[in-house]
Amino acid sequence: MNVVEVEGLRKEFKSYSSRSGLAGAFRDLFTRNYQVLRAVNDISLHIKKGEMVGYIGENGAGKSTTIKMLTGILTPTAGRILVNGMNPHKEREKFVRTIGVVFGQRSQLWWDIAVQESFRLLKKVYKVSDDAYEAHMGEVIATLDIGPLLDKPVRKLSLGQRMRCELAAALIHNPPLLFLDEPTIGLDVLVKMKIREFLKEINRKYQTTILLTTHDLADIEALCERVVLLDEGKIIYDGRLDQLQKNWVEGKQIHFEFHHPVERHALIELSGGADVKWRQGERCNEWIAGIEGDEEAVSQLMSRVIQQHPISDVKVNQASTEEIIRNIYEEGLTHG
Amino acid sequence: MFYVSIFFQYAAQYLKTRLTYRADLVVEILSDLLFQAVNLIFILVVFGHTTTLHGWSREEIIFIYGFFLVPYAIFTAFFNIWDFNDRYIVKGEMDRVLTRPVHSLLQIVIERMELESLFGVITGMAIMFYAGSRLGLEIHWYDPLVLLIMVIGGALIYAGIFITLASISFWSDSKTDLMPMMYNIGNYGRYPVDIYNRLIRFTLTWILPFAFVGVYPSAFFLGRTDWYVYAFLTPVMGLLFLTIAVVLWNQGVKHYRGAGN
Ligand SMILES: Nc1ncnc2c1ncn2[C@@H]1O[C@H](COP(=O)(O)OP(=O)(O)OP(=O)(O)O)[C@@H](O)[C@H]1O
Ligand SMILES: [Mg+2]
Repeated sequence: MNVVEVEGLRKEFKSYSSRSGLAGAFRDLFTRNYQVLRAVNDISLHIKKGEMVGYIGENGAGKSTTIKMLTGILTPTAGRILVNGMNPHKEREKFVRTIGVVFGQRSQLWWDIAVQESFRLLKKVYKVSDDAYEAHMGEVIATLDIGPLLDKPVRKLSLGQRMRCELAAALIHNPPLLFLDEPTIGLDVLVKMKIREFLKEINRKYQTTILLTTHDLADIEALCERVVLLDEGKIIYDGRLDQLQKNWVEGKQIHFEFHHPVERHALIELSGGADVKWRQGERCNEWIAGIEGDEEAVSQLMSRVIQQHPISDVKVNQASTEEIIRNIYEEGLTHG
Repeated sequence: MFYVSIFFQYAAQYLKTRLTYRADLVVEILSDLLFQAVNLIFILVVFGHTTTLHGWSREEIIFIYGFFLVPYAIFTAFFNIWDFNDRYIVKGEMDRVLTRPVHSLLQIVIERMELESLFGVITGMAIMFYAGSRLGLEIHWYDPLVLLIMVIGGALIYAGIFITLASISFWSDSKTDLMPMMYNIGNYGRYPVDIYNRLIRFTLTWILPFAFVGVYPSAFFLGRTDWYVYAFLTPVMGLLFLTIAVVLWNQGVKHYRGAGN
């Protein structure tokens, strides 16, 4: 049976705009102008037990909104949700015992009290027995390396320290399903790696199902076989991460860093007959050529370009997941 | 049973935290006391020139004030929801509350409790005893029981009104200043409502029934038999208003929109 079963899920937000002036305010009392924003637009999603799914999309794509509906925080506008066999907002109190939630942007812990006091209260709230707590949390605390932080109040922790504690707190009742909304936001590489290792570990050990949103695709690459790509509230890709890569990694990327500013049309002229897509890089005078074809085509293009425009740096690489995703956002999936 | 044990867990944690900042605690209790003293002095000043107000003596008014302090103390100890809109809706704290397996309103009650406000119960009782003895009131065996019921009823009325106001935030995201205004209106219930005009009296009885947190239940102890009906309506009104509030709250939670990040 699927852990998450979602069919035609939709969430609309009404935003009201007020009219100007006193007369406007008076009219607002009776009829208000509003716009409807479809943050999540009829998505369907099925997740099996033990899966780790990466849920990605641009800012405002509707990832957090989806998670809030799956966790019972928001009531959907339309659609059918079944998570762990329950309707999240209908049986909220029973349901939330079976999930763990971390919002990277917001603390779930009590600000003023020591971490272990927070854990102790949560242990009571989730009715976890002493034995179960000792057995499970001892390990969580050791793996996340938060033992030394336990007697500090949350407000005195650094972001990375706090996130590790948040993660531990979400696992006190050892839930079979975990929702993580940007759990690695703002963390340094070492902490990120520790968190990834930890998630892999609990997934292996307890078959914990994990749905994770992040803007760091390295998280996804490290953890998820399956990605769900969301764009303006719609799922535009749901499948294996390596499939996504395979469909897109036909070509190569050549990064040129020129000495002088170069015009796009000058570069396009140099492409010759090859299928080349030019795009400006992030650095000054950086241009990136996406080229379909074999090594031969790549080296020919390089030599033509370098003869015409002096360069300070050049490198060739395969399209990274990040670039693939960016391309998808920019051009849609049709290329795949 | 689960809720009782959770309540004590939170209360214990609360006391532990508060006792580490003992100075703050003392300052807070003292400022409460000062506030209550100012209110008493106000009553005394008003009565500096007259001995009765619409047939109510100074001691009777002081007694009503003493009674009022008791349910009010219980209300302020457990229902710190005056900043609900800001804290839980605008800042999105409600997200966290809704991911925990305890009724959302109860969670807010236990995480925002301020037990030191309960000190007001002692002050209130002391004032009632003082005024009562000056009035020569007798204490009957059933008085403590009736007092308990009246106090609970009064606290529930306060809770009901303020939970209702807080619930409005689920629907309307605009900032309103209704909460502070309501605290002011609440003070009118401390005086005999027959000193006001009929409209205000009606409002304080049936719409914003703050009169049930002061003058009506006190009328029972003061032996004003013509007000007994109102006095015994106190627990009924309390239950009624709390029920309305909780129903509204539960509806409101479904409309919670969260804070966009
Ligand atoms: N409470 C709200 N009221 C109104 N609009 C909202 C609310 N919450 C979210 N939205 C809107 O819904 C859309 C989706 O928001 P959401 O937070 O789900 O995006 P997201 O994919 O999580 O983005 P991010 O990567 O920035 O976290 C956005 O356009 C946002 O402005
Ligand atoms: Mg988000």
